[in-house]
Amino acid sequence: MTDENKKKILIVDDDSNLNTVLVDKLKFSGFDAVGAPDGEEGLKKALELHPDVILLDLVMPKMDGLEMLKKLREDEWGKEAKVIVLTLLEETDYIAKTMESGIYGYIIKTEYSLNGILKKVEEMVAGAK
Amino acid sequence: MPRIKLYIKHLFGTFIFFALLVIALFESKNYIQDILANPENYFKSDLLLPDLHFAIVFILLATIVVLITYIFYLILTLNTRSELAVWNATKSLALSKEQFKRLYESAPVPYLLLDKNGNIRDPNKAALRFFEVVPEEIADKDFFSLFAPESAAESDKFHRYYKTGMPINRQEVQMMTKKNGARWVLLSIFEMKNPGSFSSTGLAVIFDITEQKLLDQTKTEFVSLASHQLRTPLATTKWFTEMLASGDLGSLTDKQKEYVDKLGTANEEMINLVDVLLNVSRIEMGKLSVESKPTNVEELSESVLSELSLQIDRKKIRIDKRYDGLLKNVKSDPKLLRIVIQNLIGNAVKYTSDDGEISIAFRDFGSEKQIVISDNGVGIPKAEQDKVFTKLFRAGNVRGLSGKDGTGLGLYLVKSVVDALGGKISFVSEENKGSTFTVTF
Repeated sequence: MTDENKKKILIVDDDSNLNTVLVDKLKFSGFDAVGAPDGEEGLKKALELHPDVILLDLVMPKMDGLEMLKKLREDEWGKEAKVIVLTLLEETDYIAKTMESGIYGYIIKTEYSLNGILKKVEEMVAGAK
Repeated sequence: MPRIKLYIKHLFGTFIFFALLVIALFESKNYIQDILANPENYFKSDLLLPDLHFAIVFILLATIVVLITYIFYLILTLNTRSELAVWNATKSLALSKEQFKRLYESAPVPYLLLDKNGNIRDPNKAALRFFEVVPEEIADKDFFSLFAPESAAESDKFHRYYKTGMPINRQEVQMMTKKNGARWVLLSIFEMKNPGSFSSTGLAVIFDITEQKLLDQTKTEFVSLASHQLRTPLATTKWFTEMLASGDLGSLTDKQKEYVDKLGTANEEMINLVDVLLNVSRIEMGKLSVESKPTNVEELSESVLSELSLQIDRKKIRIDKRYDGLLKNVKSDPKLLRIVIQNLIGNAVKYTSDDGEISIAFRDFGSEKQIVISDNGVGIPKAEQDKVFTKLFRAGNVRGLSGKDGTGLGLYLVKSVVDALGGKISFVSEENKGSTFTVTF
């Protein structure tokens, strides 16, 4: 499979450990995974690469996930982009707000295994066709 | 001294009538003797009167006279006696009024009497101390204007409640004091109907809970923050361990795999512990909201069992499922109900020895549903059974048992959640025979 045929996944998370392991897992599983450490860079990469799925953390420095999601939805391409929110259990207020921006799923970090995330990403990519 | 005057009047009346009685008897004694001796002088014929002994007639007459005199006495002293009763009643009333007033004035709890519009009429000393004011500063002020700006909405609401006579019972609001700023209080206002009139007043009772509130808040915030901060590294460990175990980074030796798996299990336990801590702090913050929707209890139970399958298999515990196709569609909060089932089955697994048995039964009585979870494990000692649902309870017979490292929060959490769901929980247990927990909702 060439790089062009691989599905692109963007991971936006300020925790470099989580970011690394997600990028690695997705790469091993045949995706073209790219990481971004905050909302600002996440938004830039999203608009530049047009990834098939974005995994988005909510609480981040510079620009948080909510802000990035809002800006993303203002873009012509970004309106339809598939976003899965990565979250910790107690950010329920945030989750309620992301609902308004039309997101495609949540992953509660401590409850999902890497395989579980992989499955969710694969489902979403398959749904794109 | 009106009382002495009344007694003198009373005694005087009594004396007069008894004196009259004695005089009457003495005076009539001679006549009676004469009548008995010579009845023909009085009755014109010889009646049988002489046969009667004088003493008997005398006693009869005396009795009649005494009775009549007593009646006269009662009638004539009626006024005096009623005056005396009224006087006594008035005095004890005045005394109890005085006692009540003193009690009101110096009670350690702030009390304020309000008129029908909610203006302050009579604050007690504790109320003045609470608001840090002198009576003049607070007199005639609208009580509801003393609410802190943070409680402005409640101020309007409760003022409306008060005017329409709706009860206000132990409501948490913030009230403004002069020097100490806003303070959290439990506010109750009781309506006091004045007998025989349409006007009514209110008694406001304030209970200062600022200290408890602060302490609770600090503790809860700490737990919440700690749980949050703990989660990120826990997620990292979880995924890194999984990555290692998956073999994506190169295959592991059996021994290495075993170690990595143990790392994963320990991390899962830590995640559960943080979840419990967070849930407990959430309950204590009152942030636990119930979202009722159609819930499949069988599905919840199955998902909990699959989560625990590792431990169940390892201990070779037999699970006896008696779902009977019930409770597939009940109205409840699946997330909260899962916490209940997870903890109860989790405990059953934890406290049942190898080759034990756990039964999970559902019952449907129409409006009432039951989940019954039994095990034949270590049980709970009789002496400790009334403390089972208290926070940090750990039964004496499991403390120190290897591999039975509970948090002491599980059943406390279960009870709190069942309460929040409007249900009930009960259990029967015997040491070394097992426990049966029944949740009714």
